Amino acid sequence: MIKSLLSASLITLMSSSIHAELSATWEQEFALSVSGGDTHAQKLESIFQPEWNTSLTDNIDMTVIGRMLLDAYDNLGFENASFDNFSDINGTITQSKHADISIREWYVDTEISNTFWRIGKQQVVWGQADGLKVLDVVNPQSYREFILDDFADSRIPLWMLNVEVPIGDNDSVQFLWIADLTYNELATQGSVYELSSPLFIPQSTDGIKLLGINQHRPSSAIKDADIGIRYSKFYAGWDLTFNYMYHYQDNPVMYQTLVENNLTINAQFERNNLLGASASKAFGDFTLRTEIAYSSDTYHLLDKSSAVFIQKQGIHQSDDVSSVLGLDWQGLENTMLSIQWFQSSLFNYEPSVIRPQHNHILSGLYKQSFENETWELEILALYGLDKRDTALQIHLSYMLESNIKLWVGTDVFSGPEKSLFGQFNQTDRLTLGLEWGF
Amino acid sequence: MKTIENPSRVQQLARLVVHYPKINVLISLVVMIALLSALPLLYKDTRADAFLAADNPALVYQNVVKEQFGLSDPIVIAIINDSEKGVFNPTSLQLIDWLTEEISALDNINAQRVTSLATENNITGSDEGMQVDPFFDEYPDTQHIADKIWRQVSDFPLYMGSLIAEDKKATVIVAELNDKGLAEITYQQVLQLVENAPIGQNDTLYIAGEGAISGYLGSYIDADAQRLNPLAGLIITIIVLFAFRRFSPALLANIIIAASVLMTLAVMALFDVPFFVITNAMPVILIGISVADSMHIFSDYFERQANNPEQDKKEIIVETLVTMWRPITLTTLTTIAGFIGLYFSAYMPPFKFFGLFTAIGVAIAWIYSLIFLPAAMSIIQPNASKRMVKLAQSDELDTFAKIMVFLGNITMNNARKVIVFFVLIILSGFYSATHLSVNENRIETFHPSEPLFKADQAINQHLNGTNNLNIIIEANESEALFTTENLTQIEALQTYALTLENVKGATSIVDYLKQIHRSLNGGDKQFYWLPKNKELIAQYFLIYSASSDPTDFEEEIDYDYRIANIRLSLNKGSYQDNKDTVEKLNSYIEDNFNSANLTATLSGRVNVNYHWIEGVGESHFLGLGISLFLVLAVSALLFGSLTAGLFAILPVLSSILLVYAAMVLLKINLGVGTSMFASVAIGLGVDFSIHTIDRLRTSFKDNFGNWDQALADLYPLTGRALFFNYLAIALGFGVLISSKVVPLTNFGTIVFISVTTSFFASMSFLPALIKLTKPKFITDDYLNTQGAPRYSFARKAARLASAFIVVGVLSVVAFGKAALASPDVLTVVDNINKVDDGDFVTRKLTMTLVDKRGKTRVRETQAYRKYYDGEKRTVLFYKKPTNVKGTAFLTFDYEPVEKEDNQWLYLPALRKVRRISASDRGDYFLGTDFTYEDIKQEGKLALQDYDYSIIRFEPLTLENGDHYDAILMKGVPKTKAIAKELGYARNEFWVDSKTWVIIKVNYWDLKDKPLKTLIVTDIRKVDDILTRHNLAATNHKTGHKTTFVFSDVDYKTQVKDKLFTQRAMKLGK
Repeated sequence: MIKSLLSASLITLMSSSIHAELSATWEQEFALSVSGGDTHAQKLESIFQPEWNTSLTDNIDMTVIGRMLLDAYDNLGFENASFDNFSDINGTITQSKHADISIREWYVDTEISNTFWRIGKQQVVWGQADGLKVLDVVNPQSYREFILDDFADSRIPLWMLNVEVPIGDNDSVQFLWIADLTYNELATQGSVYELSSPLFIPQSTDGIKLLGINQHRPSSAIKDADIGIRYSKFYAGWDLTFNYMYHYQDNPVMYQTLVENNLTINAQFERNNLLGASASKAFGDFTLRTEIAYSSDTYHLLDKSSAVFIQKQGIHQSDDVSSVLGLDWQGLENTMLSIQWFQSSLFNYEPSVIRPQHNHILSGLYKQSFENETWELEILALYGLDKRDTALQIHLSYMLESNIKLWVGTDVFSGPEKSLFGQFNQTDRLTLGLEWGF
Repeated sequence: MKTIENPSRVQQLARLVVHYPKINVLISLVVMIALLSALPLLYKDTRADAFLAADNPALVYQNVVKEQFGLSDPIVIAIINDSEKGVFNPTSLQLIDWLTEEISALDNINAQRVTSLATENNITGSDEGMQVDPFFDEYPDTQHIADKIWRQVSDFPLYMGSLIAEDKKATVIVAELNDKGLAEITYQQVLQLVENAPIGQNDTLYIAGEGAISGYLGSYIDADAQRLNPLAGLIITIIVLFAFRRFSPALLANIIIAASVLMTLAVMALFDVPFFVITNAMPVILIGISVADSMHIFSDYFERQANNPEQDKKEIIVETLVTMWRPITLTTLTTIAGFIGLYFSAYMPPFKFFGLFTAIGVAIAWIYSLIFLPAAMSIIQPNASKRMVKLAQSDELDTFAKIMVFLGNITMNNARKVIVFFVLIILSGFYSATHLSVNENRIETFHPSEPLFKADQAINQHLNGTNNLNIIIEANESEALFTTENLTQIEALQTYALTLENVKGATSIVDYLKQIHRSLNGGDKQFYWLPKNKELIAQYFLIYSASSDPTDFEEEIDYDYRIANIRLSLNKGSYQDNKDTVEKLNSYIEDNFNSANLTATLSGRVNVNYHWIEGVGESHFLGLGISLFLVLAVSALLFGSLTAGLFAILPVLSSILLVYAAMVLLKINLGVGTSMFASVAIGLGVDFSIHTIDRLRTSFKDNFGNWDQALADLYPLTGRALFFNYLAIALGFGVLISSKVVPLTNFGTIVFISVTTSFFASMSFLPALIKLTKPKFITDDYLNTQGAPRYSFARKAARLASAFIVVGVLSVVAFGKAALASPDVLTVVDNINKVDDGDFVTRKLTMTLVDKRGKTRVRETQAYRKYYDGEKRTVLFYKKPTNVKGTAFLTFDYEPVEKEDNQWLYLPALRKVRRISASDRGDYFLGTDFTYEDIKQEGKLALQDYDYSIIRFEPLTLENGDHYDAILMKGVPKTKAIAKELGYARNEFWVDSKTWVIIKVNYWDLKDKPLKTLIVTDIRKVDDILTRHNLAATNHKTGHKTTFVFSDVDYKTQVKDKLFTQRAMKLGK
């Protein structure tokens, strides 16, 4: 209901604006799954994304970005999509097996007495890391395709108030108020990238009968809103930020109640205080990027064999400090090499927690362009130190015309089945794509 | 016997090597020989200046001084005569005359800059006024004339102590070289001269000075190398023979040594890197390292072969490879990491290259040990010696194994005591590190018995000193140095300098003026002071030039009387001796001398040395830190555990700390030669701990988790192999101790101590620690033996590959790295740079990129630029096409050259602003044919990077008909390093003589081939400011062309500060 109202008002607005710019991209991607000796098509996806920028008045600009997503194969889980992660004011306009139409972003920018306001459905990105998230927790994410999609496409924009106040010459304070109670979209049951690792999903055991899963979601836009503050400073060549967020974690916590041999799962969303900082600076050919975040309440699954499993309802709570240390090197022409070390440590630990106390992931990114940037090669490798699992993405793109880009790529996972990347061991795929802008 | 993990793939590769031996051997040898053909290109560089990077300010200024005054590093010949009359006898004086003439005739000697009694003039007064006559006006063939000359000279304070000793017994001939690079040849020629010189009975001739040092050092080093390298090779061959009692290992080990050393030198030659003084230590190091890998392979092979005499030898070799490839690769990677650390931390080019090329040599040794060696062994199929077979059959151990087992037993039974012992060493090492002293004296490169050393001593004893410090005085205008204020300042500075320690002499134009003044006042000593009248001083110069050669003062003052030189002579050369003096002089100059009209700057050998050595201490500890970190990182990566990495570096750390203690005790200074020992010691010493850890992991598995058994098993085989490994390296370095080059002796001593300590620490401290802590990285492999995972090879390969990439990339990284123009050029450059381009500008920029096939891409952007105090900010917003829309690029350019620019890039796909590195000025801007530097300069000239000159006036007509009265000019980057950074060897450009806008530029690449051409058209005024609207750059190499078209240019509308922020980048405007 609300969604149709929104789309109606949008159309009205579109016809009454002063100065507008319309552009769009059409992307076509085909993925071939090549794992396990059995080659089959995984997806044939088309994405049409129009963008409309306009100035409503001298001081007010509006941006609307829409998206229509079509998938011929549905392996990525449209059919069973429950859309439960979305709040009432977020999500798609239509629901169908193969198609998904939504308003991705819709916001208004204005400046009032040297303060910048962006109000509406938007994405706000905190932090310096590539690939994995430490401070980048403002917007939830869609994990329909695990982490293989560009974050700009998989991040879920939220309705929020975003205010930025400049301080002095180089600093600023940003304040966020997010009343949109939308959380991560997980890959649905039976889809290709459904999570199966015990790190995230309670594992089934013989003799235990699953009675049901109850989901409890925050409902009050006032009480359950997220608040964030970020102070940015540019000092002696350093880009610094100091961040604080009082928010609901975007993954539900799976509390498990075991009565005799019957298991009930209560998926609940829990609050967390996030306090963090980031710093980056370039030194000669190197750029250093660092980020650190302290979370007061994080929740992790316990192994069923744990003595405190029943008492703690299968969940262990601890505070956590995560960080990323990244180094980019651009010493050679047209090349960038970037290495990052992610680390996450729980202060409070128990041996039966499935996740290791100290989790380390290394990532390496290699980018090179050829022939005046018409060809671009990108190789991203992620490696988890604990279980020695890896994810490897190789991507080669060619700019056929100024507005047409072609690419070919591959995404490969390996590692123990129960690990973060290893759980997708069998989903290795080859992709071919085209993007046309107009 | 030993568990082989994942045999399939490694075994396959090993079989490839072993079963096609002839091809492998052939290829290895062919590659080696092909590379060796480049060896003749190698050349030496023994100059002291080679130790400094070419753009080091001290060195650059030194060159300026040489240009101006013709002064640099002379060869000094001293004539010492101990008899009563000293050198003031006919024979000696004639000798001086003869030598002066002969030396001036040498090719590389600047005949205008030879100073001796025979060349200098006496200034006296007579009834007619001033008289300027050479001291040798009358040829000194009688004692009478000799006495007269003494009377004259002793009456001229300027020369007493500098040219002639106060006690009459010594005098010098100072000759400046034209080309320091040819110092060695010149030195030999001077030696010849001295041989044939007509010396008197009591005369002794000495040759000294920096020119002589550079000259001698070349042959000194050569002689040393010719002795040391074969000696090291011989010792190692003996060790190998002793260890295996067979000829083939010794032969093959030597081939690998030859490959490693010679191929590395060939690579150096190919990359135009000269052979420096310290490069001498590289072959010795490589000999020790390259033999280590083959030692381990042979050790394992012969052991197996002795125990299984019936088994097919090729199979044995395969088994050996499968077992040993891992630890050999691990140690190679860690050693390379250690040396790369030196590359990153050293600020002197010879050390950087040393670190880099030694790493390359280590890599070559690794390749040959894994390919050539097994292949050769497969052909030869050597048998284990009878001794070994007998021992194997009776299950006995040979002496060396027994020694190691004995050591093992002591360690295991006294684990705690061993740990306490090493902790004590570590603590005393830290304490000692704070007491290290940094010092360097170039003459101490030579043994005290060397003639050069003795010569230096003699001269510094009798005369003011061979160590020079120049103070260059600069005034604002021509003839400013006639004023008494300025001259008095100079005199005061001279007087102050003489109060400082070790400064024995100070000469300047002031001394000449005083002498002239005195001679024009009847020669009375009382009048030996500075005249107080500017016109008088000007007159004196005039009178002097009438009586003699006006170029006589070229070493003291320039043609315009604007720049003068005070030459200080110091009789000590070491950094510590002169540090205070240099610093005090700088203080005095800043506090009391420098003013708006007059400035002084230090230069000269002593100053260069001061700057050079200042950084040694810091660079050493930085190198230590970086090498340790790299080795830690690589070890941790390879063993998959941070703890393992820490354990791996502990023995090496304790060895370095012990060396610090030893250096403090033995009073060895941290100087140029010794400072790099840390990286070398780490690179060599870590091998022991890597082998130990690797072996313990396997041993733990083989012994089913029994700690004591696992540890005991370490000693007989691996311990034995490591022992021979240690002997090879230690004795290889021991050879350096016998070097005649003193710094190399010290270097050899401390590396020997360090390697010995590393070995013992790895064999005792490390196992003791492991025994007590029972760490996971040893037990993990055993505990995870369930279900041999099929991806474990991939896992290992990924780990190794990542280590390779880390080390490889770092190595590749390593491999990557202003004239006094005539006033005319400076004016033109000034005019070009003064062309107004507005305080701020808003403009639209359309970029059209066309490749050689004609394919066109167009990008539209909106650009803003604004000048701030000492800073220029630019922001570019991409508008079209859609797939780059929203991208933004922000730069803060700072005026001071040393301050790094800041750059940010916003990519809409990431929704995030990314900080990027701004240092690659020669990189192409976002796929166009303009470099970052091109765009930053915006048609202005960079005086700090280029030397500009005018070629001629040349009218220019472009293809589109535009015609200009242009001046054709040339720009050449000031140094090779700058050229490399910018990517241009030179450029030539036409500048419009009316508007001073550069119209057309041709660029040449680093190989001096035409690279690209830039043409500027549509130049017209907008808002009264001359604007270039169309810039077209064509790259001749790729055929690609970029056109920048500026439109909607607006200099009037205020450009808001908020545009140059990260928020604006995200907003898109």
